[in-house]
Amino acid sequence: MNVTLGQYYPSDSIIHKLDPRTKIIGTMLYIAMVFLSNNIISYGICTLLFVYLAKVSHVPVLMAIRGLKGMVFIIIITALFNIFFIKTGNTIIKTPLINITDDGLFTTISLCLRLVLIVCTSSFLTFTTTPISLADGVERLLRKPCSFTKISSSEIGMIMSIALRFIPTLIEELDKIKKAQQARGADFENGGLIKRAKNMIPLLVPLFLSSFRRADELAMAMESRCYRPDMKRTKLRELKYTKNDYYAYGVILFLLAVVVVVSLVWSMK
Amino acid sequence: MKFIDAKSIKFEYTRYDEEKDISIPVCALNGVDLSVEKGDFIAILGHNGSGKSTLAKILNGLLLPKEGTVVVSGEMLKDEKSIWTARTKLGMVFQNPDNQIIASVVEEDVAFGPENLGFSPEKIKENISFALDAVGMNDYRYATPSNLSGGQKQRIAIAGVLAMKPECIVFDESTAMLDPIGRKDVIKVASYLNREHGMTVIMITHFMDEAAKANKIFVMNEGVIVKSGTPSEIFSDVEYMRGLRLDVPIASEIVYELNTAFNKKIPSGIVTSEALVRYILSQKPPKNVNFEQREHRSVHNEPILQVKGLTHIYGEKTAFERVALKDINIEIYSGEFVGIIGHTGSGKSTLTQHLNALITSEKGEVLFKGENILKDKENIKKIRQKIGLVFQYPENQLFEENVYDEIAFGPKNMGIDEEEIKKRVASSLKMVELDESYCKKSPFSLSGGQKRRVAIASVLAMKPEILVLDEPMAGLDPMGRRAILSNIRKMRDELGITILLVSHSMEDVSEVCDRILVMNEGKVEMLDTVYNVFKNVNRLKQIGLDAPEVSLIMHELRQEGINVPDDVYSVRDAADIIGRLLNGE
Repeated sequence: MNVTLGQYYPSDSIIHKLDPRTKIIGTMLYIAMVFLSNNIISYGICTLLFVYLAKVSHVPVLMAIRGLKGMVFIIIITALFNIFFIKTGNTIIKTPLINITDDGLFTTISLCLRLVLIVCTSSFLTFTTTPISLADGVERLLRKPCSFTKISSSEIGMIMSIALRFIPTLIEELDKIKKAQQARGADFENGGLIKRAKNMIPLLVPLFLSSFRRADELAMAMESRCYRPDMKRTKLRELKYTKNDYYAYGVILFLLAVVVVVSLVWSMK
Repeated sequence: MKFIDAKSIKFEYTRYDEEKDISIPVCALNGVDLSVEKGDFIAILGHNGSGKSTLAKILNGLLLPKEGTVVVSGEMLKDEKSIWTARTKLGMVFQNPDNQIIASVVEEDVAFGPENLGFSPEKIKENISFALDAVGMNDYRYATPSNLSGGQKQRIAIAGVLAMKPECIVFDESTAMLDPIGRKDVIKVASYLNREHGMTVIMITHFMDEAAKANKIFVMNEGVIVKSGTPSEIFSDVEYMRGLRLDVPIASEIVYELNTAFNKKIPSGIVTSEALVRYILSQKPPKNVNFEQREHRSVHNEPILQVKGLTHIYGEKTAFERVALKDINIEIYSGEFVGIIGHTGSGKSTLTQHLNALITSEKGEVLFKGENILKDKENIKKIRQKIGLVFQYPENQLFEENVYDEIAFGPKNMGIDEEEIKKRVASSLKMVELDESYCKKSPFSLSGGQKRRVAIASVLAMKPEILVLDEPMAGLDPMGRRAILSNIRKMRDELGITILLVSHSMEDVSEVCDRILVMNEGKVEMLDTVYNVFKNVNRLKQIGLDAPEVSLIMHELRQEGINVPDDVYSVRDAADIIGRLLNGE
C-alpha cells in the first residue's frame, strides 16, 4: 500500500531544491509582508509573488487554491462581521437593518485577501518540501535557540523524523486491524455517536498495544546501533545553503522592503 | 581467537501474575556458557521461551546478566563504556523489519549507526556504499523503506549494522517474518559476510535448513545450552531434538526413518538433501524399480465458492495505480482443502480479502453458493459469518479482557443469544485444544502460540462454512506450527468446513491440501491437485516458489535416471521408497 504524506507534490523545480530553512523563513517573511500591506500596490506585489511561485514550482495553481476549502467558512464569517460592524467612514449602502461603509468594505476585502494569500502561498512550503526535510529544517533552525536551553534540537529532530517514518506503518496496521475486526462482524459505520465511539475499542486497543510494542523494539534497535541522546552525533547530510538560497532570500527581503516603503508612504498620505 | 566468551550467565525477569496479584521472578537464563571463535558461523536453536533472544540481548549489552561474565572481543561488559564499545563490534538484526528502520530514506537509515559514532560525512558515505553493496541493495539507496518488501527491509537493517563495521552480527530470528525469497536473500547475505569478510555470524532461528548452514550449533532449552556440535552431530539425534520441541532438516528426518523403520545403517551425518541424494547414488541403486503409481483423489462436490472474472486495481487512475488481481476465475468445492501459494505481492491477500467482501471490486463477482457477495451490502454481516477469515498474525487483533469475551466478540456481533455463544466458545476452544480454564485468563498473558489459537477460535466461533487462513503458522516455533496445522486439519475432518490455507510452506500445503491454487503477478497460474502442481517444479521455481523438499529429492533422483515416483511429499513415503531402492527391490 502506498501512503502519501502531507501534500508533497513531487517535481524538481528550483523551489523544490531550495534549502528547507530558506522556505520556512521565506514563508514567515511573506506572512509579515502580507500583514504590512495596506494598499493596492503592496497587495499586488504579494499576489504577483504567489503567481510567480506557482509558475516556477510547477505546482498547479488549482491545487494551491484547493487548500482554501477548509478556510472558506472562517473567511466568510470574518468578512460578514467586518462588513456589518465597521461603522466608520462614508456610508455606501444604507437600509434600516444594515449599514455598509467604504471603510468596512475596504477592510473586509483586504482581510479576505490577506487570508487567501497567506493560506495559498504558505501551502507551497508543504507542496515543495517533503515532511522529512521540513523536519530537518526545523531541527536546524532550532539548533541555535536550543543551545541556550536544556532542550536538544537533535532530539526534537529525531522525534519528528521517527514520527514521520512510522505514520505509513501505523496507517497500514490500522487498516489491517480494521479489516480483521470487520471479518469478525465488527461494524464501524453504523450506529449513534456513543455506539460508534464504543465500537472503536476493538481498533484502538490493538493499535495502542502494537504501537507500544513497536516503540519498545525500536528503542532496542536504536540502542543496539549506538544511539546515545546525550552524545554528539554527526550528520550524513548537513543542510547547506546554495547560491539559489541566497537569491531567494535576496528577492524576498527586497520585496519586503518595497512593501514596507510603499505602505509607509501610503499611510502618510 | 575467542570473539565471545560468556561464562555462567544467569538472567531473571519478573512476570506479573494477575490472579495472585504478585510479581514472580522467572529465570530466563540459568548458567549459560558460550564461547564463539572469530569467523565462526553459529546457529542457536531452541523453542520459544528457551532463552535464545535473552542471550542475544545480553551479548549486545541490551540486558545485563544477574550473574556471570560476558567478554566480547576482549572487552568485559561491565560498565557503560565497555557496553558501547561492544556494540560497535557486535551488531544485531532483530525480528520485525518494520521496527528497526529509523529513517524514511534507505541511505539515511544506513547512516544512523555511523552518525551515532560521530564519523565524518565522507566516512559515512563510504561505509554506506560498502554496506549497501554487501547486501545487494545499492539500487535502493534513495528508496523509501516502507515501499520495500520484508526481505529488502531486513537487508537494509543488515546494512545499517554493517555500516558501523562490526566484527560480528547476531540475527535474532531475523528471517521469521519473511517469505521464502526474503529468507533466502537474508541467509545468502549472512553466508557471504561470513565467507568473504570473515564476519562472525550468530544466527538464532527456527528454520532447521538455515541452521544446517552453520559450522556449529548450540541448542538451548529452559535457559541453558543443552547441546552443542556440528550440524551433523546435532541433527543425527532426531528423538532428542523432538523432545526439545524442535525439528531436524528433512534429509535428517528421512535418514532417521530409514535407520529406525527400515533397519538401514546410513551414516547419520547427512543433513542436507544434496548429501542424501549423493549418498543414495553412491550405493548404486538399480535404475529400474517398479513403483505402483498411486491414485490422486480430488473432491468433486458442489461448488461452494466461485470467483468469476475478478479484477482489482489499487489506486486506480492515480500515480500509484497497481493491478493486484487480473481476471481471476476459480471454483472451490464444498468440503475441500485448498492451499494458496505465491510469493509476496502475487495477489493472495487481495484475493482472500475479496472472499468475504472486505475489499470489493467493480469488475467480476464472488459467488457464495451462487450469490454474489460483492453486490449484497445488506447481508454483509451474514456473509462474513459464513466465510471466516483469519488474518496473518491474528494475535495482533486481540483486545478483550479475557479469552471468553474475545471468542464471543464475533458471535455477539452476529446477534446470537448468550446460551448459544457459551456453547460456541466451548466448542471453539476445544477445536484449538485449549481447555475451559483459559476462559478467564487475559489473552495477553498467553504465549505466542496460544494467543494465535485464541484468535483462530474467535473466528471459528462464528461457525463459518468456509475458513480462509492467511499464513496461520508464520513466526511460530516448529512445535507451534505443528499444533496449528493439526488443529486446522481437525476442523476440516470433524466440522466439514471448506478450508483455504495461504502458506509459504510447500511441506505444509502438500501434506494437508486436496488442491493448490498458485498465484503469480495477480493471475491464477495453476489450480490443480497437489500432484499436478508440484510436478511443474521448474515453472514453480521460475515464479519464485518451490516444491516440497521431499519431492525435490525425488526429482533429483529421477534426473539421475532412477524411476522413483514423482508424487511423494511426506518423509514417511520417501523413506519407504528409498528403503526399497537401497534394498534393490
